Amino acid sequence: MDKDNANPTILNVSELPTRQNKKKATAPGKDADLDLDIVLRKPEYLSAPFCDLSWASDDTDSDDGFTIEPIDEQEIYDLISTISDPEHPLSLGQLAVVNLPDIHITPSPSLPADPNTLTQVLVKITPTITHCSLATVIGLGIRVRLEQALPPNYRVDVMIKEGTHSQDDQVNKQLADKERVAAALENATLKGVLDKMLETCV
Amino acid sequence: MAPTTPMKLIPLPPFKPDLYERAWQSIPHPTLPLLATAHQKSVTVFSLSTLSEHSTLTNGHERSVRSASWKPNLPPHKLCLVTGSFDSTAGLWRWEDEGQGGSGGLEVEITGGAKEDAEEKDWELIVVLDGHDSEIKSVAFSPSGQFLATCSRDKSVWIWEDVGASEADDEWETVAVLNEHEGDVKAVAWCPDTNRSGRGRYGSDVLASASYDDTVRIWREDGEGEWVCVAVLEGHKGTVWGIQWEPNPKNERFPRLLTWSADRTIRVWTLKEEEDEAEAPQHAWSGLGRIPNTMRRSLKEEWVCTDTLPAAHTRDIYSATWSAETGLVASVGSDGIIALYKEEASDVNGKTSTATEDEAAAELDGDVHMSNGHPENKLQTSRQWNLLSTMPNAHGPYEINHITWCKRYDAGCPPDKKGVEEMLVTTGDDGIVRPWQIS
Repeated sequence: MDKDNANPTILNVSELPTRQNKKKATAPGKDADLDLDIVLRKPEYLSAPFCDLSWASDDTDSDDGFTIEPIDEQEIYDLISTISDPEHPLSLGQLAVVNLPDIHITPSPSLPADPNTLTQVLVKITPTITHCSLATVIGLGIRVRLEQALPPNYRVDVMIKEGTHSQDDQVNKQLADKERVAAALENATLKGVLDKMLETCV
Repeated sequence: MAPTTPMKLIPLPPFKPDLYERAWQSIPHPTLPLLATAHQKSVTVFSLSTLSEHSTLTNGHERSVRSASWKPNLPPHKLCLVTGSFDSTAGLWRWEDEGQGGSGGLEVEITGGAKEDAEEKDWELIVVLDGHDSEIKSVAFSPSGQFLATCSRDKSVWIWEDVGASEADDEWETVAVLNEHEGDVKAVAWCPDTNRSGRGRYGSDVLASASYDDTVRIWREDGEGEWVCVAVLEGHKGTVWGIQWEPNPKNERFPRLLTWSADRTIRVWTLKEEEDEAEAPQHAWSGLGRIPNTMRRSLKEEWVCTDTLPAAHTRDIYSATWSAETGLVASVGSDGIIALYKEEASDVNGKTSTATEDEAAAELDGDVHMSNGHPENKLQTSRQWNLLSTMPNAHGPYEINHITWCKRYDAGCPPDKKGVEEMLVTTGDDGIVRPWQIS
């Protein structure tokens, strides 16, 4: 089968944004410590939906729920940039489908968090070409990955970045539809594709 | 705009057991103290008197059950439930209490909580209604039980008719496949049999459907077995997640329609009723003289958006419920908030007055002209929806998929109020089904 985009632009892994210092701002750096960051991360890929393991198991020294480290844009980026593209043997980070500046968290993670306060994570994706038919599958993969990894007070919205896709309204509406997403995950073929995409997220 | 009567939502202990994973919907039985909750590939029926499990419907569907509807007008020892599933089929299930002829069987048993007995009996999947191409999103019985409507992501609404010779003879025929929506059909609802007498050449059954195409459509049977779309309600700016007919319309008015959407609004729609149903309006039709009576009526109905409820939600509204008893509306959605609204009379300054609902309704019955949903008649402004109360984090951090009014039969309800007093029941992504007391 012909690929939609046979020659995508590929970023070197060492050029991808990464957390240089866990506490510091998240400016894209050139130090190649991304792999280390991934290795040190606890597996957050959970099989049961809505399992709240990730916040309970997050690295906190105290039992006090209020000292949980906030989840920032870099952490969201780390969760999804390692997802594999469904047609190239490359990650969504390498293909620049997901980009750190296109991840928005509201309210800002620097504010004190109450585990019941809704936090919106908005991810705008840039499909490799404007008519990429796999944009929906990629968006679905990101939504599923984040819903499985993030605490239940997070609301994940995945949208196509304006002007980068010819049917962005349709794709956005599908990705926002909880019922369609739930049904899609019960479709064995689609679930197989998604599982394969998420295999590289460890 | 100040809310008048402050109302509080008090959480009652949730139904047991906890279902642990996403539950979609909980449907109260029309007359018995039972509640059917759709979750995963099954349905759990809870007793409203013990707030615990009564029975389960399992092994009928290959994918999640999204919706359920109780067949109305059955004797109290017979239960019949239809389930709509993502596996694209609808299942018709029966639960019969054969052993106890004449003793009032089931009703006694479920109100008395004789669970051991209940567990020996079982639900049986009798008929699989096959026809949709993809996930069934909603199922609904007509008020008489004669018709069943199903709708799907395949953009169609199917109407099935019970053509069996007796109640036990389960034979269902497809009488209509309605293909006019341009997107998934998310919900179907039949008009209650109050004040909805056959209009002109149409039969009395009226169906509404809500869609991913942002519209609501209204369907009637034309008297010759053909189901036709008589109105398209346009105004929502996102998927219409659901619809409910006004359960208890006042002053012989045709029931209004409540719709809720991904656009975070809840709207009320009103049929523009013709001045005199019995006669063809003189002015409009005088030139048509001798044409047969059935041709005189317009095939279309005019529905107008007459109210938008006060904004209370920050994300998709997945469910709302309109009480037949009190007229109160409650809504839930992705933001985890329960909002409670009341339609109240008020003076022209927007202050709520003491006028009763009936007086407000009587005013509405006057010759009111509306355009774009904005009332032009002064009288119309004397009725408005107020937000009474909101309850954030009603299921902690989780989304709430469904809310319904339901009668109380639990031990915490005073005996003289059982089967009379209402509570709300919410169903969430956390697998919790929780009752709420209103005070």
